[in-house]
Order: sequence, then structure tokens, then C-alpha cells
Amino acid sequence: MRKAKRKATNSFFPKKVEELKQVLEKEFVNSNDLSYSIFESSSQKLAVFYLSYQVDSQRIENTLLKALLEPNKDWTVDSLLNEIPINTGQKMDKLEELLTNLINGHVFVYIEGAQQVVSYLMLNIEHRSLEKAETESVVIGPQVAFTESLVTNLNILRWRMRSKDLVLEKIMLGKTTPKEARIIYLKSVANETDVQTMRQRLQDLDVDEVEDANVLMQYIEDSSWTIFPQFYSTELPDRASYAINKGRVGVVVENSPMAILAPTTFFSFFESTEDLYMRWNAGSFLRVLRFISMFISVMLTPMYVAAVTFHYELIPTQLLISIGQSRANVPFPPIFEALLLELLIELLREAGARLPTKVGQTIGIVGGVVVGTAAVQAGITSNILIIFITISALASFTAPSYLMGTSIRVLRFPMIILAGILGIMGIVFGISFLIIHLLKLTSLGRPYLTPIYPFRMKDINKVLIRFPQQFQGKRFLSYRPKDKVRFNKKKAQQKKDIDE
Amino acid sequence: MDINVKVKPNLSIRAFYLFFIIASLQLGVGIMGAPRFLYKEAGTDSWISIFIAVAYIFAVLFVMILTLKQYENADIFGIHRDLFGKWIGNLLSSAYIVYFIVTLFSVLITYIEVVRVFIFPTISPLTMGVILLILGIYSTLGGLRIIVGVCFLFFILTHWVLLLLIEPAVQIDWGHFFPMFQTPFPDLLAGAKASAYTFIGFEILFLVYPFIQNKEKLHFPVYMSVAWSGLLVLVTTIITLGFFTGVQVERREWTLLSLFKFQQFSFIERLDFVVVAEWMMVIIPNIILLFWGATYGIKRLYNLPQKITIYALAVPLLIGCWLIDEHFQIQWVIEKVNGFGFWLVYVYPFLLLPMVLIKKKWNQHRRGEKNET
Repeated sequence: MRKAKRKATNSFFPKKVEELKQVLEKEFVNSNDLSYSIFESSSQKLAVFYLSYQVDSQRIENTLLKALLEPNKDWTVDSLLNEIPINTGQKMDKLEELLTNLINGHVFVYIEGAQQVVSYLMLNIEHRSLEKAETESVVIGPQVAFTESLVTNLNILRWRMRSKDLVLEKIMLGKTTPKEARIIYLKSVANETDVQTMRQRLQDLDVDEVEDANVLMQYIEDSSWTIFPQFYSTELPDRASYAINKGRVGVVVENSPMAILAPTTFFSFFESTEDLYMRWNAGSFLRVLRFISMFISVMLTPMYVAAVTFHYELIPTQLLISIGQSRANVPFPPIFEALLLELLIELLREAGARLPTKVGQTIGIVGGVVVGTAAVQAGITSNILIIFITISALASFTAPSYLMGTSIRVLRFPMIILAGILGIMGIVFGISFLIIHLLKLTSLGRPYLTPIYPFRMKDINKVLIRFPQQFQGKRFLSYRPKDKVRFNKKKAQQKKDIDE
Repeated sequence: MDINVKVKPNLSIRAFYLFFIIASLQLGVGIMGAPRFLYKEAGTDSWISIFIAVAYIFAVLFVMILTLKQYENADIFGIHRDLFGKWIGNLLSSAYIVYFIVTLFSVLITYIEVVRVFIFPTISPLTMGVILLILGIYSTLGGLRIIVGVCFLFFILTHWVLLLLIEPAVQIDWGHFFPMFQTPFPDLLAGAKASAYTFIGFEILFLVYPFIQNKEKLHFPVYMSVAWSGLLVLVTTIITLGFFTGVQVERREWTLLSLFKFQQFSFIERLDFVVVAEWMMVIIPNIILLFWGATYGIKRLYNLPQKITIYALAVPLLIGCWLIDEHFQIQWVIEKVNGFGFWLVYVYPFLLLPMVLIKKKWNQHRRGEKNET
């Protein structure tokens, strides 16, 4: 039975053009879109067929149809390939091949009685133009962001890294709706193990559909229970190319404007490419500022709650008086008050993200200013707490990665609750737990907290603060790149005596 | 049980981390009360006692490393098995495990008492026990590499506390140290012995030795760690004794912590609260290293998986924290641990080394005979 079927597909051609049409219409459930036109000349019959919305119809008319309509010409398979000025022509003879390529945007020409069908790739992908990055906006440096089109993304990346070593390994993901993904790395730099791990995880992936790069990230992450993202997903091509140049592995997925970068350290979520474009001292300052603001964002409100609930002694008398005055009319315990306000801020942020931009600003002002003032006047909250909460909300937005910023904002809630129950002991417990948790995490099998632990002195100058360029002669050694040296450090550091 | 431990290369650690392992196990609850114990025995010359204690520990460490070097890659349990056979060897090894457990227990109850005295007089010891053990269990489950990471990070993250001692340090009355060199030598020795509980912790070397990657670089971090903790105890003792008068020192239970009351800023004061809470991060490396030592030992001796013994151990510890919450009971426990630990940690290595050497000689001798025949 099976053998017979295979035989049938093998001897699919030659066929009458009408027969072919019937077969195609039967195979395609939704055959309305199938455009099937028959050209008849004195000596032969030709059939041209394609899926109307998948192909560039302008191009078909200009090149293919124009040539075919040339009078008194006898076409053969070879003359179709040689004389028509389209460079993607190829022969096909299997029905299945024909069907999949029809979906992928091929145009087919069949000469009645021929053994093969000729196909031309004339794909037409709808895509938007390149735009500025929205979630990871930068002040100076390249502004362009990835788009939803894989071809565009690869094009941008290739253009940024014109290296022969750049590998764009193709891999298909998803069972029911396959999607193309590319593993991108520099062959001469990237660590083999990392590339192999990434390839293995993608190959072993057994899902029906990969919706987006961020979903793929969650499929292949090391730990799915943690709140911290373990791979960096970026929409900035310069960030992606920077990481790949340093020996990391990138993954881009069709229909997703994000590229995944792995392995990643916890600290790289607070690095912005802007740090590189600025002078090293200003860049380092901004990076340290981001670390501090993460700390503030997690700790400030819980500290207030702990101090006001349990440890009045901690606050000097002067400050205690003003805090006491502002809290005098508030009937709620501090933990409830803090949770209420944190929730309000989150609510404003979420509404701001969902609302249309024109309405969004109005709502922001109404929500932030009017409600805030009214809440203080009504005696529901103290204005000192409002200051703290606003600072910690602002601080959480300094993280260049939106995913990390969200994680930090979520972390505040358990911290506030711990501070409200156990006071300062609760805060230290929470911080200790977080540090231990971060120590346990890995990204693509590499420790999350490198280079702090496992400690590597030579990498510190790339992570916590950024040293001047002449100290950056080595790549990130903790990830063991194949090629460790970026440039000769000695040459860069050559010193001269005065007046030489 | 094998005498030598086979360690997978991905589980081994660099010798450099030994500094943090040993130092963070030594600096724990002991240092909080050390000045008082020292002053009681050695008076104004307490600082000499610290030098004596550190010198003695150097000798112990030298002997310990020499003992370990006689084997390919063995720990204390393997050495016991090799020397004394299954039954007696296991008995001695179990003594070590029991020692780890009771030390862990003493650390737990002492810290809980400190928290109750300084911050929350009403907090249930059970709650405190639960949060300490959660952290202990959570990191111990990660294995030795995570434990070393916790020691390393918490060691660095807690040392800022020393900066708060600058304020009392500049107010020292140097007259408190005079007259110098008047304390009789036996009293100095007694002072050194009184600091035994403070300096306990370097015996973990007997356990982690097989996990060290580059054993040739072992000496420097090990000696440095003891030197560092010795230095810290010395500095804190000098500041404490210089800041308080002798009577005040004798009256205060945790003299070191009282020192932190004197620093204040415009937005925060009473930093002893912060320090006592922060001290949790000093305690946690203690807890998890001892936890790991105990469960790892049980695994080596009786083949019980650590994942079970950790939980099995946590329950009685928790109940213990709950039951023993009176000051005199806690002092009793510490005294017992002190006595037990003194013999096991400070004296026993000197007995072990000759036995190991004799056994080695004997083996070589026998092998030589075999080769002749």
C-alpha cells in the first residue's frame, strides 16, 4: 500500500493541466487563494499557479507573464530556466515539495506533458520599516531596533558584523506551525560548549508553537521557577552584535523583534550599550547609579515599613518628629499603607502601558498628582511614604532591561510584607534569600553571578564599573571564549616620558 | 567507604576560597562576646592572649595540613577509617559529626538570644529558628560550590560593619591597657583558652581538603584566614577594652555589639539594631558550613543521602531552639561545646599526626618486605 503511494508520487508528472488544477484544489483546503491561469498557444499548453497573497504580483507580471506571452514561442523546461530573467528558478517533480513551496511563496510554471515543473521564488513579505527602539531607548548611539521580520533582522546584523566568521545557523522550531530561528555566533570567538548547549536545547525543544523570542527564552531557560530572566532579550541590534562579538550566542526567531543573548550575568542586565558610547568615567557613574537604584528600589519602602512599625529607635528624633506628624492622621498600619500605595503605582504604570498614548498622559497626571495629593489630604497615607514610593518606582525603571525592571518591582511586595512582619530581621532574611537564590542560578550552565562568584579579577573591570579602553584588551574571560584577546594591551598602554 | 574522596572536577573549588570558608566559619557568634571572656581571664593584657591563641592555631593548622598530605585525597573520615578500621573509625568520625551539630545548635541559640535581647524581646525563638534554618537548608541544598559562594559573598557584604567601629575607636582611653605585661603567664594561657570558642572553625579544613583544586597553593589562604580573624578579634578587643572600663566590660554580655550604639548619622541612629540584624549574614555561612559538614559526614559514613538528612537534622534543631531559650541554658550549651570542641579541634590533631605517620611507615615497611619475597 505504502509502496504504491510512493510510486504514485514519483510518477506524478506528466499530467494534463486541468488534472493538475484538480489535484491542487483538492490538496488545498482553502483553494480560493490559489491563482491558476492557463496559457494556450498553438503547440503547447502552459499553467502558471501561485498563492496570490504570498507572492510579489507586480514582479510576476513584469517578468514572468510578459515573457510567457511572447507569441509563437515553444517553451521547454530548460528554456524557461535559461531565458526568463529571474534568478531563483529551479526544477521540481514531487507533489509534497510543490505544496510546501507554494506556501513559501514560489510561483510555478508547468508545461503540459513535461516531466518537471519550474518554480521561481517570488516571495513577498509584508514588513514594517525600521523604527527607533521603544522599550530600550538610548540617548546616544544607534537607535534602530529589530523588527518582526527575520530577513530584516538578519540583514541588520550581517551589516553590523561583516565577518566571515559569523555563523547564522538555521533551525526550525515548533511542530504545527514551524518557525525559523537562527543561532548566531562568531566561530572564531564563541565558546563551543555554549553554542552546543544552545543548539541542543533548541533541537530538543518539543512544542507545537514558539510564539515569540521571549517565549522561546522561557522554554530553554535553566530554571523556570525563578523571577529573574536568565537570558537577555534585546531589541537593539548594536547590543546583540556587541554581545556576539564578545563571544556570546544569539538567537533570533521569525516574527519576533527580540534577539536572545546567552549566557548572561546578573550584572549585564544593568549594563546599557550607552555606557560604552560615553566616556568611561561618565559611563561607570551611570552604571553604578543603576546598581544603587536597584538596591533603593528593593529596599527603601521595606526599610520605611520596618522602621515605622518596629524600630522607632533607628530614626533620629528630628526626623522622627516630621515622620510622626505626617503619619498622625493615618489610621492604617504602615505595611497596609505601603502596599496600597505600591499597588497604586503599579496600577498607574500598567494603565499607562495599555492606554493609547494620547489618553495615557492625562491619566498619568490625574492618577499621580491628583490622587496622590488627595490621598494625603484625606489622611489615608503620609506624604513621606509617597516620596519614598515614588523614588523606588522611578529607581526600578533605570534598569535597561524591561524584564529585569519588572522582576525588581515584583520583588518589592514580598520584601514589604517581610518587613511588616519581622521588621529589620525580615529585610535581612529577604536579602540573604535573594543572594543565595542568585548564587544558585545559572545561565546556559554558567553561574549567574560571575565574575563576582566564581570570582575573576580580570573581568571585574567590565562589569561593575567600566575602565578606560586600554584596560579592555581581554574578552569576558569567565565565559572562556576561544579567542581571549581583543587587542594587544601593551601597545595600547605604551607610555612616554615627558617631552619625548 | 573509600579512604580517598573522588571529587568531580566541576565540584572542586580553588584554594583561594579556603580563606573565606575558614574565616567566615571562625567569625560568628564567638567574636561578639570574646572581649569579655578574654578580659575575665587575662585582664588588661588580653591582647597578648590573642597572639598566643593565633600562634597555637598556626601550629594546629600546620599539623592538620601535614596529616592530610600523607594521603592522596582523603578527609578526616577516610583517615579515621584507614587508621582505626570500621567500628572505632566510625565512632571517632561520628564524634566529629556530633561536634558539628552541637556547634551549629550553639550558634543558632546564641544568635536567637542576641536578637531577642537587642531587637525583639517578644519574638518567638521558633520563628527565628525557622528563618535561619530556611536559609541554611536552601543554600546547603545547592552543594558545596553554592555554600562557598555564600561564604564569599556574605564575607564581603558584612565587613562594612567594621567602619562603624571608627567612632568608638577614636575615643579609646589608652590608659585602660596599663599597666602592661603584668598578667602572669598562666592567666594569659587561660585567656587564650577562653578564646577557643571564638576561633573554632578551621577544622572544616579536614572536610573540604579533598575538594580543593590546586592543593599546592593551600597554605597561604589557610594561614591568612586565621591571621585575618585573629586580627579582627584583636582589633575589636582593643577597641572594646579601650572604650569601656573593666567593670563595664565584665557586666556586658556582648560587649562588641554595644560598641555599635555610639555611631550615629543624621538619618539613622542606634546602629546596633542594624548590626545585629546584619549579623544574620555573618551567622548564615556558619550555619550552612556546619550543616554541610554534618550531613556530608553522615553521607560518607552511613551512605544516607544529604537531601534527607538535611531535613531530618533541621527538625530536632528547631525543636531545640524552641525549648532552650533561657540564658543559663544557652550558656551551659556553649560551655559544653567549648569543652568538647577544645579537645577535638585543638588537641586531637596532635594525636592524629603521629598515628598517621606510624601507620605510613609500617605500610612502607610491609610493602618492602613483600617486594623482597
